[in-house]
Amino acid sequence: MLEQMTMEQTILDAAREVFETMIFMDIESAGSEPQETSPEGAALMGSITFRGGLEGCLTICLSEACARSIAANMLGMDSGDQLSLSEVGDAVGEVANMTMGSIKHRIQNTYNDLQVSIPTVVSGRQLFPMPGEDFTRGQVCTTLDEIFPVTFSMYYKQAQS
Amino acid sequence: MSKSLMIVDDSATMRKIIMKTVRMSGLEFDRTEEAGNGAEALEKLKSAAVDIVLCDINMPEMNGVEFVKQARQMDCSKNTKIIMVSTESGQDLIDNLISSGANGYITKPFTPERFQEKLTPFMN
Ligand SMILES: [Mg+2]
Repeated sequence: MLEQMTMEQTILDAAREVFETMIFMDIESAGSEPQETSPEGAALMGSITFRGGLEGCLTICLSEACARSIAANMLGMDSGDQLSLSEVGDAVGEVANMTMGSIKHRIQNTYNDLQVSIPTVVSGRQLFPMPGEDFTRGQVCTTLDEIFPVTFSMYYKQAQS
Repeated sequence: MSKSLMIVDDSATMRKIIMKTVRMSGLEFDRTEEAGNGAEALEKLKSAAVDIVLCDINMPEMNGVEFVKQARQMDCSKNTKIIMVSTESGQDLIDNLISSGANGYITKPFTPERFQEKLTPFMN
């Protein structure tokens, strides 16, 4: 199975591709120290599940303020303040979707049969992904435009044959 | 020559992003439509045909693969150019879509240049 380190690098590369191509925000790794997944205050969590040779789920956790900035940038707006929470959530779901698509593309030589779900997004406070047992966790903490913390978590395991 | 476009994606935000990116690419359409899934897109095509469809793959109700197959069997969309826009990038899936009648493929994330490159051949 993919080493945790390799998976974390793959997640970061995929996230970079998405943020640089479509969101025009600078994304940097915030180091390897494990952090709290959920930001303070109002937050959103986008998740997408996958199955095939590898199964699990990718989540992205970020503050609502950060999600509004992302949505505004994707839509070419000056500010995300006027967007509804559903529009902001939709944008977060697409970020999860595109990041997972890019990860899938990057690991297709090892896992060529991954099927990806439609993304779901929840909003609230203290959001944490809840995987089942036996999952390996790859976590990538990043900083967006030098201010917003964004955490990508990938829980995965080899499918039972 | 005037052209019409339909954007099919289950995410309303993504439909807006695609529209923005098409505009940035410099391509101009005098009529644009939107649909949230394949079934809705087929219904809209029956009432007014369009020249180009940009279509997502993973959608509830009816996905993009099924949409292409059914659109190719309807008189009103026989000649419509259908370009898939998706995060899916497996070569087998792309080959399968092209043999079902899709005219092109753009992967997400995308750039305005990519839309220009893929759509320009169908603008005349
Ligand atoms: Mg979709």
